[in-house]
Amino acid sequence: MAIFLQFIVGGLFLGGIYTLIALGIVIIYKSTRVFNFAQGWMVTLGAFMLVTLVEKFGVVIGVIGGIAFGALIGIVIERLLMRPLIGQPLIAALLLTIMLAHVIEGINILIWGTFGYEMPVNLPGQSIKFAGVVVSHALLWGIGVAVAAFAAFSLFYWRTLMGRVMRGTAEDHQVAQSLGLPVKGVFSLSWVLAGFLSIIAGLFLGVVSGVHYIMYGSLLGAIAVVLLGGIDSIVGAIVGGMILGVLQSLVTGYLNPALADVIPYIVLLLILIIKPYGLFGLVRIERL
Amino acid sequence: MERPAGIFDVRYEQDMAIVRTGPQWAFLIGFLILLAVLPVFAGSYFLGFMILTGIALIAVQGLNILTGYAGQISLGHQAFVAVGAYTTAVLMDSFHWNFWATVPLAGIAAAAFGVLFGLPSFRLKMLYLAMTTLAAQFIIIAFFNHAFPDYFHAVGGIRVSRPELAGINFKNNEAFYYVVIAIAVIMTIFAKNLVRGRLGRAFVALRDNDLASEVIGINVARYKLYAFAIGCFYAGVAGSLWATYYRSVNPLHFHLDVSIWYLGCLIVGGMGTAVGAVFGVVFLRVIRELVTIISPFLSGLVSPMDAPKIGPALAIISWALVVILFLIFEPRGLAHTWEVLKSRFRHWPFKYSI
Repeated sequence: MAIFLQFIVGGLFLGGIYTLIALGIVIIYKSTRVFNFAQGWMVTLGAFMLVTLVEKFGVVIGVIGGIAFGALIGIVIERLLMRPLIGQPLIAALLLTIMLAHVIEGINILIWGTFGYEMPVNLPGQSIKFAGVVVSHALLWGIGVAVAAFAAFSLFYWRTLMGRVMRGTAEDHQVAQSLGLPVKGVFSLSWVLAGFLSIIAGLFLGVVSGVHYIMYGSLLGAIAVVLLGGIDSIVGAIVGGMILGVLQSLVTGYLNPALADVIPYIVLLLILIIKPYGLFGLVRIERL
Repeated sequence: MERPAGIFDVRYEQDMAIVRTGPQWAFLIGFLILLAVLPVFAGSYFLGFMILTGIALIAVQGLNILTGYAGQISLGHQAFVAVGAYTTAVLMDSFHWNFWATVPLAGIAAAAFGVLFGLPSFRLKMLYLAMTTLAAQFIIIAFFNHAFPDYFHAVGGIRVSRPELAGINFKNNEAFYYVVIAIAVIMTIFAKNLVRGRLGRAFVALRDNDLASEVIGINVARYKLYAFAIGCFYAGVAGSLWATYYRSVNPLHFHLDVSIWYLGCLIVGGMGTAVGAVFGVVFLRVIRELVTIISPFLSGLVSPMDAPKIGPALAIISWALVVILFLIFEPRGLAHTWEVLKSRFRHWPFKYSI
């Protein structure tokens, strides 16, 4: 039972990281219809940057600087790469983010090399004992931040004016533009938010498991999360993330770690066959 | 299709011909002769380059049919190459088959896997379908990595020997070059012709608007599966040659990056043209070779601490950046640039262009 609980907490943490990444993908997809394949790589880049900044300037300034850097990545990608593609088929944007992922991977290797780093951040608090299980507080932090991010974004989307503008833009770009909504501004903001989320995910993942350039491999599972929850659903991101995280953790623990690596893709395949728009996704009907 | 001034088609055969004019025949035959005599004066390094280019070309022609013509994005093409490679390797290693008999079988096995993972395309398209092929990439490679260790030998890999035919041993690259280039040329011609017929037209209709093509009577589901079968057949044949060229098969060879690299070739060359696939593969292969040559020099310029990073980093950044530049500045690829150049040449000194 204690072991089981251990796996559940570990799974929830993994699910929290998945949620943070999936939220970034969902937010970009909702407003720009671009599927950001590179989100996992952005997390890796953000985590590396955090390591460097925290080592140089201490925790507080480092983390603030890291978050600013995340926003900067978002805005640079949007301005430099995504803006010229407006008007081209959406598949071109998908292909571009795939290639961008490789460029980021190359940059990571170029600057930080192929060895692992430790995130020099000590999260406040200490491990707690619960029902005979010692749970690391870093895991709880990760879970908590994921839930908080989900709550914050839900509130932002449903309660603020900017959130309403973003939802309006998500419905139809041309209509939104003709109504005077700042469509391009919304695009930029979505990428900035995604960059911000990638830094947060990088921070907590880095604290728990260190930073390495092949980190993206495990983060690709977030794509399965996005499709499981529904590609344009914020609720889907957290539900899908937690389901997949726990499932993967349990399979690692009880069945076979090798199988756990492909669990996201098996889930991905199954959900696409059974319910292509995901658990909470909006079903779009196409007309000629 | 634009013709040089003064050349008119008066018969259907002329209208349908791929090679239309005398100079085109001359260039084509000259090019084939050049390919044929290349081993006489080219070094072993260059032949290795040509062999790998030929193998990649076969795979990319398949991806071109699947993605360029039929519009079904595949992020898992290298997994289907792996199916072909493993088919050949296992049949030769465990069952002692003749290499030549395994080549078509490798294609068929890959096509079967392609159809299997293409089945979700009944309900899915675009992004969603691309994600199923991503799943295919990881599931297939994990399958080879962990299933049937007696046959697949997991991470250890399978050793494959080069074939023999009619007394010619293909152990050295000079002989194997002919095998690869012959198959690559035949399959390129086949791809070019395939898409000019009923099948290819259906693929293009499907790509441009699947709902509309369904309305005018194309069985969308069936044609999508045809596209998967044909595209993956190409991948399987490429895999078969891949296995014999490297003389070993190992799950590590068939990484996601290579699948993406194939897509990059297609973008650089221009999707939906047979000549574009050739341009794209050659272009990115040349860039890769240039980077391998340049990076030791660059490594020498930086501190010894940073030196080992340069090679692997540049190897990734170079081609991915080139593909991004093409996506932004020339989304129709080198094939379109080539058409523009030809048009400029024909109309010179006038400024007409397409």
